[in-house]
Amino acid sequence: MADTNKIDDTATSLSRRTLIKGVIAAGAVSSGAYLFRTSVVRAQQSAAGSAERLVTLTVNGQQRRVDVMKQETLATTLRYKLGLTGTKLGCDRSECGACTVLVDDVPHYSCSMLTHTARGKNIVTIEGLASAEGKLHPIQQGVIDEQGFQCAFCMSGFIMATAGFLKVNPNPTRAELAHGISGNLCRCQDYDKILTAMMRGAENARKVS
Amino acid sequence: MAIIRDIMPAFELFQPANINDAVSLLDRHGSDAWVLAGGLDSFDWLKDRIKRPKVVVDLSQIAELRGVREVNGGLEIGAMTTLTEVVRHPVVKEKFSILSHGAESAASPQIRNQGTLGGNVSQDARCWYYRGGWKCYRAGGNICFADTPTAINREHAILNAERCVAVNPSDSAPALIALEAQMVIRNVKGERVVNAEDYFVGPAIDITRMTVLQPGDLLTAIRIPATWAGAQFYFEKVRDRQVWDFPLMNVASAMVVNGGNIERIRIAVNAAAATPLRLTAVEDAVRGKARNAATGEMGGKVAVTGAEPLRYNGYKIPLMRNLVKRAISGVEEAKWA
Amino acid sequence: MPAKISPNQPAYRLLGKNYETPDLVAKVTGKAKYAEDYRAEGMLFARLLLSPMPHARVRSIDASAALAMPGVKAILTVDDLPAPADAMTDLGQVIPANKLAERGLTNEPVYQGDPILAVCAVDEYTCAEAIEKIRIDYERLPHVVDPLVTLRPGSPNARVEGNVWLRPVAAPPKPGQPPPPPSAPQVQELKWTDADFAASKDGQLPMGKATDKWEYGDWEAGLKNADLVLDETFVSPNTSHQCLETRTAMAYWQNGKVYLHCSTQSTSQTVPAVARWLHMDASDVIVISEYTGGGFGSKITSSIQCIIPAVLSKKVGAPVMMRISREEEHFIGKARPSIHGRMKVGFTKDGRITAVDMFVLCESGPYDPQGDANQAGRQLSLMYQPPAMRWQGISVLTNTPPRVSQSQPGGFQGIVLMEPILSKAARKLGIDHVAIHRINAPEGKASLGPAAGGKRPYVTSAFIKEALDIGKASFHWDERKARAKRSGTKARGIGVATSCFVGGSVGFDGLFVIKPDGKVYVQSGIGNLGTESVSDCHRVTAEVLGIPWEKVEVTWGHTGRNLPWTCPSGGSQTIHAMTRAAFVAAHDAKDKLQQIAAKDLGGRAEDYEVGGERVYRKGGGGSMSLAQAAKRAIELGGIYDGHEIPKGVNKFTAASAQNLTGQGLLAIARDTMPRDGLTHSYVAGFAEVEVDLETGRYDILDYLAVADVGTVIHPRALGGQILGRSMLGIGHAVGQKWVYDQHYGLPLAKRFHHNKPPTIMEAPTKMAWEAVGLPDPETPIGARGIGEPPVGAGCMAILNALSDALGDDVFRRAPVLADTILASLEAGRPMEEGLTAHI
Repeated sequence: MADTNKIDDTATSLSRRTLIKGVIAAGAVSSGAYLFRTSVVRAQQSAAGSAERLVTLTVNGQQRRVDVMKQETLATTLRYKLGLTGTKLGCDRSECGACTVLVDDVPHYSCSMLTHTARGKNIVTIEGLASAEGKLHPIQQGVIDEQGFQCAFCMSGFIMATAGFLKVNPNPTRAELAHGISGNLCRCQDYDKILTAMMRGAENARKVS
Repeated sequence: MAIIRDIMPAFELFQPANINDAVSLLDRHGSDAWVLAGGLDSFDWLKDRIKRPKVVVDLSQIAELRGVREVNGGLEIGAMTTLTEVVRHPVVKEKFSILSHGAESAASPQIRNQGTLGGNVSQDARCWYYRGGWKCYRAGGNICFADTPTAINREHAILNAERCVAVNPSDSAPALIALEAQMVIRNVKGERVVNAEDYFVGPAIDITRMTVLQPGDLLTAIRIPATWAGAQFYFEKVRDRQVWDFPLMNVASAMVVNGGNIERIRIAVNAAAATPLRLTAVEDAVRGKARNAATGEMGGKVAVTGAEPLRYNGYKIPLMRNLVKRAISGVEEAKWA
Repeated sequence: MPAKISPNQPAYRLLGKNYETPDLVAKVTGKAKYAEDYRAEGMLFARLLLSPMPHARVRSIDASAALAMPGVKAILTVDDLPAPADAMTDLGQVIPANKLAERGLTNEPVYQGDPILAVCAVDEYTCAEAIEKIRIDYERLPHVVDPLVTLRPGSPNARVEGNVWLRPVAAPPKPGQPPPPPSAPQVQELKWTDADFAASKDGQLPMGKATDKWEYGDWEAGLKNADLVLDETFVSPNTSHQCLETRTAMAYWQNGKVYLHCSTQSTSQTVPAVARWLHMDASDVIVISEYTGGGFGSKITSSIQCIIPAVLSKKVGAPVMMRISREEEHFIGKARPSIHGRMKVGFTKDGRITAVDMFVLCESGPYDPQGDANQAGRQLSLMYQPPAMRWQGISVLTNTPPRVSQSQPGGFQGIVLMEPILSKAARKLGIDHVAIHRINAPEGKASLGPAAGGKRPYVTSAFIKEALDIGKASFHWDERKARAKRSGTKARGIGVATSCFVGGSVGFDGLFVIKPDGKVYVQSGIGNLGTESVSDCHRVTAEVLGIPWEKVEVTWGHTGRNLPWTCPSGGSQTIHAMTRAAFVAAHDAKDKLQQIAAKDLGGRAEDYEVGGERVYRKGGGGSMSLAQAAKRAIELGGIYDGHEIPKGVNKFTAASAQNLTGQGLLAIARDTMPRDGLTHSYVAGFAEVEVDLETGRYDILDYLAVADVGTVIHPRALGGQILGRSMLGIGHAVGQKWVYDQHYGLPLAKRFHHNKPPTIMEAPTKMAWEAVGLPDPETPIGARGIGEPPVGAGCMAILNALSDALGDDVFRRAPVLADTILASLEAGRPMEEGLTAHI
């Protein structure tokens, strides 16, 4: 159906079209060009020596050039400019963890980091966990194995937080892992099953490595 | 002006690469400038559009502000060192474990991965009236909404309230005070060093600020002397939820016990007053006494002398009394069969 | 963690077994799309301007400066929205619109946070700048945020029209006529007298005039003849649903149809709701909601604010995304109403309840009246089987965010009011806590509520006594009971609570096609909100037809893709209602397969059986594959491939079926199977807590929930529901609440760290669930829903365990936090203000 083509997977198709339209500075890749058209925000002046608007980000192993507002958070850039909507915004205030991504292997709330601060760092989102061939990451497989999570809006944040935690402690007890991923809120309150799935993911990861 | 939240207003962003550039930027922009460390406190203000700085100076690119260095048996911790780095540092763990425990009790793992020690001690009050944008004393108005007959103030001060009844919410501050830490502050004129307990200012001195930092000032490091390395430590934080929440109260003590007697002690609490409180009266009362339950009880009672509860925070008096007791004589642990 | 289904459950090929749900890979890879994840070319953004006052009238709006800004496209006020429309029941009866209901935007904001207008612009930054340039002249109106305060003489009312909801009693039905539709509720002013307030003492709830009541049995005699009568007041909290996904929506128009990406619990049911809100024909509304980030009752048919981007989109001629922030969600995302309850309960000396006299004051917020007060009484009457009971209720308006059902609506509050009394009675009478629950528990076709048409209604079944027995053994209740309660600075206690709620409805449709590729294409109108019933229910299709699950493809989440009429995913109806619908549709397919086989291979239809992906002659002989039968169905046409649609199905289903015509064997049926009784499910919860007596903090050491849910369809999904909803209840015990400054009528707690939804650190150290596994006798598969009853059991097992550790009179409202415990222990009496709302 026409409408489904229009709305499904628009991230990639839209990026091409908006790029051709040349809405944003040459070379910028943005699937979210519709976000920043003629408006007050375009009039933002830059003082000498202040941060440049055009930045290069390393996301899921790829270099992405993107036009970024000074006050823009990494979550906004990922979701609205790079088409990586697997990173969720649950509160936008560091209180739920749905936006968790890895920045240089460390879990951060992408809602509470300026994109400019993430320049030059290695950012990994939920979309970057599985292998290029589509083989799921051991933690993702853990969720499949245990049917972890319910509505799953918190899921990518939990998985990224676990991925970061396991880099520091690959063989945690259940209590250690709970503490390690305690910066993630689940409103379905499926904590017990989530923890089981994440422990399974840790086990899967140990088998792989 | 109608209110809208959850979109940051525009600001000019500077990302200096070294301390000199940072302090000269702060000097140039004076009270128009906002210092951004980890940003966890800052973004709340900015997203609420209540604080609207013209200029934000992001310290994230300044390598010299980050890291833990051993100095003369003590430590110098860069102000931009994250709480996680503090928590995991082997010397902090081994010699100054209350700081590790205090830092680890703050907020959540991701916040500790980004939030800094400097930011944790410099953060603003969390009174829900003040943070909600109510025009109170602390916000430059002429009323304390948390101290009216209908105010809900279970999280507010029981000691030293002066018009404003907000508390300081830092979890690392009492540990730093107990460790006799010093704060290193830079501005274009040079460097000055203040004792941790003098770093914080209450409403009697300046009702709109939490610390001695003035526009143009930058906290660059926190020094911990060797004085209390390896002492007996106690840290405890009581909060509603065991992650994310600010303290209802916390306590930190460093103690040297000799022959069963308390030879030296420093003890501090937070969330009892507008500043973290070093409890010198308690220290004086228990110094030289046997370290036992009776001394702990006595210390706890001394601690709450003069405490004045508001309508909903009376529980903080027994809480402070009991926490101070535990910080002196320990917890009587359960022995379940 | 440990989970067990009792061997009671009959063995099935698929049912009762775990499997990988079809939505899971998309979820773990981040590809699953929730409403805010969709993009459309030319998409604009909208943000809301919220009322800064608890109650006011908008005199004028000056938006000229905002509209003059580059990038600002439009401003929408309530004047641009359709008026509230009447609703139509399935029987064609008109339910008149509640003229005071929420409309999405308003010129008379009735709580701080009530949306006044929406600004549409090219991006959110511009929306925000524009909103700050809008000047609104408000006339302040009186406000009240405490349901007891507004009942005092001379106190303010939350609405200009009054402060309580009344629903005029409809005339009795004429003989042979269906009962009349419910009459429209009305707001009136009602004040209690000073004498009413003076009559209660020591934190007891005053009991002035109630607006509703019912009774059965001689409750006065029951109380008079009791060996023990307890008169207790308890207050349950207002709790926001706080779905992790806010109710963001994106809309656009194409060829006169509106396409709405929204967050909803119920895909099919959202279509008529949106059509009614927009005054449109349902056939012109397409709802897309493949993934919903939680609902818990607050998104049963999405939210009325989802029409804002739809109307804006029409106005500006471009797609519009309206992202709802967390703070906005706190306001428009709705909440469970609190209940102030006072109950007199009589007991015999062996613990049997003789009578209940229940009085409940429900804080309904500023908009629609809530059924929680009444349902609290009904569910209580089922769970504890009082032989006589009087219920009185009053539904009060306040200037606080709108309320709506939340998991176990009303039932939860009934359990919360009753359990402390049962627990106290057990202590006073020296009866074991499990025993006192068992003595008063329902069994079989137990009655609930007042008589209707001369007879009290009853349930389909109840196996809660079995659940208590299983739990008592698994939890090692007697061993734990024998242990010491105090050591050092710690106290421990154990608690048990029982809980129940509606667990199913009937009358919905099943629809699927067996295509010539031999696969079964199931159309699912169930919402995908994380319960997994969106696919779990259709396991029944595969079970009945004897086909492997791998041959079943489920289509869901998009009403443009031909979905059947489906129950709302709320009130734990779905697994019951839709396994029935799946069952009848599967049997429709079976009948058609048998008929096709008989036509082609000879003999009578009943000579054939379906299984192993074939239809075959019993006892040997000819057979054909499902693929072949599907091809034949297309050739035969008529009823077989959907050219003829049966009359009995809903018109929504019929329209979908027409679009599927000619693709294969079309199975379509409405559930008209008999059911004797009202379907309910039950949970027994067991908990152990440890309290730090010097700080008031407590930890939950262990929690076990034993569920009586009939047949288990999908164990892992069931376990998630049982323990997830248990945690939701535990949240009510350990932290969730609202905070208001009464003088200003403004909320202080709008953030997670204020409202305190439980984190993983609040979860019990150990959690486990078990299922009784006895099938419900009134439904073919025997499955009932489970989303609701764990809530009350979770909350009250914890609070009963706290009372066991600390004794009575430490707390008299939920939640119970460290401050309450410490202050009460210090003073030796309850120190918390019992009745003040929102502290």
